[in-house]
Amino acid sequence: MANTACFIIVGRNDIPIYEAEVGSAAKREDAAQLHQFILHAALDVVQDLAWTTSAMFLKSVDRFNDLVVSVYVTAGHTRLMLLHDSRNEDGIKSFFQEVHELYIKILLNPLYLPGSRITSSHFDTKVRALARKYL
Amino acid sequence: MVEPVNSSLGKMLLEEISPVVMVLCTPLVEDTFLRNGLSFVETLKPFCNFSNIDVPVRTSSDQLYRLKKFTLRLFYASDIKQPNVEVAKQRLERVITQAGEKDFQDLKSDPPQITDILSNPESEIAPSWFRYYNKELIRTLSFSDHEAFDHPVACLLVVSSKDEEPIKKFVDLFNSNRLPTDGTMDPNILKHYLLVHDNQDATTERTSKVLSEMRSQFGNNECNLLCTNSSKEGNVEHQANPWASFKSSVSADKLGCALTGDDIVEIKDLMQEFASRHIIPYMEQKVRELNQQISATRKGLKNQFKNFLWRKGKDDNPDATKGSMYTYSSTESQIRILGDYAFMLHDYELALSSYRLIYTDYNIDKAWKHYAGVQEMRGLAYFISDQPKKDSECMENAFSTYMKLGKSGFQNATRCGLWWAEMLKARDQHKEAASVYFRICGEEPLHAAVMLEQASYCFMLTKPAMLHKYGFHLVLSGDHYKNCNQVNHAIRTYKSAISVYKSTTWSHIKDHLYFHIGQWYAIVGMHDVAVRNMLKVLDCGYQSKATQEIFLRDFFDIVKKTGMKHEVVGLQLPILNMSSLQVIYEDHRTYASQASALVEESIWQSLEDDIIPSLNSGKSNWLELQSKLLPKKYKESNVCVAGESVKLDLEFRNPLLISTSITSVSLICELTANSDDLKLVDNEPSGSSLSPEISTEHNQVTTSGFSSFTLSEVDFTLGGGEKKLVRLTVTPSEEGILKIVGVRWELSGSIVGVHYFQSVSVKAKTARGRRKNKLTPTDALKFLVIKSLPRLEGSIDHLPEKLYAGDLRYLVLELRNKSESPTKNLKMKISHPRFVSPGNHEEELTTEFPDCLKKGDEHNIVQRESNRTSSVFAFPKDVSLQGDRSLRWPLWLRAAIPGTISLYFTIYYEMENVSSMKYRTLRMHYNLQVLPSLQTSFKVTPSPSRLQEFLVRMDIVNRAKSDCFQIHQLSTVGCRWGISLLQPVDTILPSKFLLAGQALSCFFMIKDCRKSGTEDEETTSLPPSQTDVKLYTQDDDEKLFDIVSSPLASFHESERSCQGPSVQVSPNTVDFILISRLAKSSSPSAVPDLPKILSHHSCHNSIRSSSPISWSLDGPQTIHHDFSTSLCEIKLKMVIRNTSDGISSVTINTNDFLPDAAATTSSSGNQSGWRYVPTITEEMKLTSDVMGSRLGKPPSSMESSPPFIWSGLSSTKIQIQPLSTTEIPLQISVFSPGIYDLSSYELNWELSEHESATSSGTCQGYPYYLTVLQSE
Repeated sequence: MANTACFIIVGRNDIPIYEAEVGSAAKREDAAQLHQFILHAALDVVQDLAWTTSAMFLKSVDRFNDLVVSVYVTAGHTRLMLLHDSRNEDGIKSFFQEVHELYIKILLNPLYLPGSRITSSHFDTKVRALARKYL
Repeated sequence: MVEPVNSSLGKMLLEEISPVVMVLCTPLVEDTFLRNGLSFVETLKPFCNFSNIDVPVRTSSDQLYRLKKFTLRLFYASDIKQPNVEVAKQRLERVITQAGEKDFQDLKSDPPQITDILSNPESEIAPSWFRYYNKELIRTLSFSDHEAFDHPVACLLVVSSKDEEPIKKFVDLFNSNRLPTDGTMDPNILKHYLLVHDNQDATTERTSKVLSEMRSQFGNNECNLLCTNSSKEGNVEHQANPWASFKSSVSADKLGCALTGDDIVEIKDLMQEFASRHIIPYMEQKVRELNQQISATRKGLKNQFKNFLWRKGKDDNPDATKGSMYTYSSTESQIRILGDYAFMLHDYELALSSYRLIYTDYNIDKAWKHYAGVQEMRGLAYFISDQPKKDSECMENAFSTYMKLGKSGFQNATRCGLWWAEMLKARDQHKEAASVYFRICGEEPLHAAVMLEQASYCFMLTKPAMLHKYGFHLVLSGDHYKNCNQVNHAIRTYKSAISVYKSTTWSHIKDHLYFHIGQWYAIVGMHDVAVRNMLKVLDCGYQSKATQEIFLRDFFDIVKKTGMKHEVVGLQLPILNMSSLQVIYEDHRTYASQASALVEESIWQSLEDDIIPSLNSGKSNWLELQSKLLPKKYKESNVCVAGESVKLDLEFRNPLLISTSITSVSLICELTANSDDLKLVDNEPSGSSLSPEISTEHNQVTTSGFSSFTLSEVDFTLGGGEKKLVRLTVTPSEEGILKIVGVRWELSGSIVGVHYFQSVSVKAKTARGRRKNKLTPTDALKFLVIKSLPRLEGSIDHLPEKLYAGDLRYLVLELRNKSESPTKNLKMKISHPRFVSPGNHEEELTTEFPDCLKKGDEHNIVQRESNRTSSVFAFPKDVSLQGDRSLRWPLWLRAAIPGTISLYFTIYYEMENVSSMKYRTLRMHYNLQVLPSLQTSFKVTPSPSRLQEFLVRMDIVNRAKSDCFQIHQLSTVGCRWGISLLQPVDTILPSKFLLAGQALSCFFMIKDCRKSGTEDEETTSLPPSQTDVKLYTQDDDEKLFDIVSSPLASFHESERSCQGPSVQVSPNTVDFILISRLAKSSSPSAVPDLPKILSHHSCHNSIRSSSPISWSLDGPQTIHHDFSTSLCEIKLKMVIRNTSDGISSVTINTNDFLPDAAATTSSSGNQSGWRYVPTITEEMKLTSDVMGSRLGKPPSSMESSPPFIWSGLSSTKIQIQPLSTTEIPLQISVFSPGIYDLSSYELNWELSEHESATSSGTCQGYPYYLTVLQSE
């Protein structure tokens, strides 16, 4: 179980559409800022890597001190980004794949505007459950 | 990709890895050069960089190459030692602080655009002081014992010609200033002797003599003479001062003031000769000697094998030497010197081969610093030799080795990292360079800040630019600068980061940036910029409550420190919901209450259409009285009256989770007073509006010294996320053009929020429907203020909100004019005449309501003659209101039907002596809720035997939920019908009350009092008591209500027009009025204001039956006849009435039936209908007599023949005109005594209406019993 984990789904145009602090450590207010900064900075690396590989799962694209950034890029160039301090590559990959399934279900909703913020509490509950299961 | 030699690292290496010359001089020499404001070394330093020295060099091979560029480094002997760490740190900090102070003026500028940053040349992206900082950082590692390129190559001994015993001074200089005694430097270095001659003091003869002695003592080639300070005046100004970089700009002009141009040329030639004829040949010879020596001992297979065995033996004695591991004379030191000398002489192949010999030795000896140093030099040599990949590998190796040493190796790692980063940048590998900068951050925050900032610029220079990382590393750098109190640098880096994150939707990032840079601007005293940045954090609704409190508290602290109020245009705390903006104002339309103003304009216009004069007549009046500009303004803009307020409703929303107090909320208005401005406003283009950037004085008045309007101020507190609708008003007191420009409010007594309306579409509730042009957003908030006018105020006293259906109330309308100007021509129109009816006179009632409506009251007014055809009520002509006089006028209210009713009243009045506006209207709006009470239905059935009488069945249902009602009286309307009860009151209603939900049926008889058979309109007047039926018991001492008096008669007329389509009075209908009251009970009623009387009107009840005709058969009931003489013929008469509107054709068919059929008809007649049967006793007597006297007749003859026959015509056909009656004679023949039923006939009718449609039917005859007796 990761002590620190921050999960953000970034839509096209680098707009975050979902954010969740899914670590087991106590939440600190300034930690959210640092996590956003690190994940935002990692977008540069993802931008380069996304066009050089056919894999969706880009493991350990970036790191900052003890924190590692793993990314999953969907076909629509939506990026599932996870900031973690654990080394659990298989779990992280499974987490990404299952969240991707949930995200596809969100996209199938005709009332959901692609690129807008995901506000479904059901989605949030599912994502946090998957985080406890895999990370 | 630039050539390595010409890259910044190449230039840096040329300057930094170059021969060191140790300078020893006497104090008099220093005094000579201090006249120029420089030390001796400073005087010579600009001339130690040779760009075209062109010296042939031959080192290890026989091949000759020429040195083009060369550099010397001059140091005093006292400076040739390891620098102090603390002193170096302070010097570095001073570099940063000075750079920050220089940039202080640029802090106020806005963050640059990211496109501008990207289009900058590469050399301008990073600040220029970084290069200087890096050099100073590298120099903190000078003169390390494990590196030979910092060891002095030569010694320059300088003596002045004024010194006593110069020759002895030369010897003493060197002996007293020996090299550091750690034994790592060469004690036998090159010596050069320089005699300085000051032209201003010493004589030439003495100098020549000393020079001759020096040359004889030290050698002819080792001695030189330098003449200086040739200028007598001492005020030479050099155009390109070579010493400008040494001192501050204040005294730069004085540097070198005693030196002439020839002196400078002499210094330059001296240094060039020194380098080319002494330093380079000496190093060249040294390299060759060392190369031969090392080749003899270390190169070749045999020597390597021997070295392996020999070095193996050295490990057996680890504590052999107590001092430094490698002395100057050791083999490793000699090889290092060879490599460094070759490097400085630009023979990189020899340098690389030398370094390769010793790095394995250092590795075996675990001399990590020496090992890393050699690897570092290898990397640099590979770089200069333009061999990619190998240089980075060596630098990586060196860097890692330095880092393993911990704190002692960190400085070396830093220098290695700096060189490594420059190497990577020269190869356009900026991303890798950034990671190197990141790795050398270390724990010192100021050091880390500079490194992180350089890393960010590397990310900017990648292709394509990695802007996210650029911004992130700037933020990290700024945080470190702040931790070292370098606030200027922190602001600079954050400002650049804002260029990247400006339009981001990553909320935590944006809040972090603006909050911190706002705080830091406040620290440096730029509070206005601080406030501007803090404003971007105020709408942080998504942050936690604690964070919002921190943001807001710091924001207000910063604002207070400015010592003045800050006006912020577009402040987002609170958020104004502009779509909720509503403007309420009054021009010729005034409102009695808030509810009246919210009613849609179309409702008022439809109500006022026939009460106000037409627009054309108004226009013609204006044309006669006013100039042409004013009517145009009336059409185009809104009009309001001086002294009357304009109200503006606006919704405020708190975006934060914490409660916020908002004070002094008011409008921002402009009022231009004179008519010239009116013309100017007319000439303005419609698109012009006030720009937020233009700084204007708000609430300014053009002509008046005092304020020409008053504004309301509202204070309120918004809870977390709360919305509140706020009403703001402005009351102009002068004529002119009033503009509502915006809204302002205060936060915490120091922040003034301003919001301008110029681009907002306003929903003006009172916009005129007749305007053809569409309302522009700006014009909606512009008003033409006209002179003060009388304004009528109206109210209705005690208007109830809840009523029962049928409730009748007495109300008073009160009108008041507070102005001294009178009003006239008052008119009133009511939206629901069915509900409200104005009274007849102004005076108060003499009797209390409802007793004033009862019969016998002398003040009751019969209102037969006042049939108002118009729905507009005109007040009497003599009514005029002025000077706070009030008019009280009675109103009658009756709740006609259940439901929610909106009542609208419009009162029209005209002003006297006023030219700008001829009339005004007062609009009043009230809502009524009418609950169901008694529901009545009437069914009128004509009597079959009496044409003038009708049976009435009244059904009553109490539909109230909880209240009981008491029936008082039932009346017929008009004088035609008389009404009477069929049953006593006690039988109908034993309990006197109708309970909730209870139903009741009552039966009455009404009688047509007109003369029969005629349609004469003249009728005899019935006594009033015959048109009313009292429905209460005799015990009650109550009077009947007079239904012909006002207002019951008026309301009845309204009900007639509402309940039925026919306008004219129809002779076939009857109207009823049921009057009831609420029963007294202890339980509270559903209606708070108890009703006193309820009237229920039922109109247009038809007295017509389903059949268009009615008839009756007249004749004798009993007859005596002597059958012995003849048969009996009896004459009868049938009266038929046509009750329909069309011509009826009636055919009478008589039938002779058998006794069985007659018996069947008789039995069915007993069940229903109207009949008059004689008493039984009389009938029995007659029957007994008849039967006894006729015992002799045979029975068979009776059964075979009918008892009577119709002896008249068997079929009679007549035409009856509408609503007329006719008589038809009939005759029967009777053959024997008996009782006969004369119902064996039928009437066939055929009705032709006014239209072509016809209808027909058949009616059976009524039972009619005839008794025939035998006469005696």
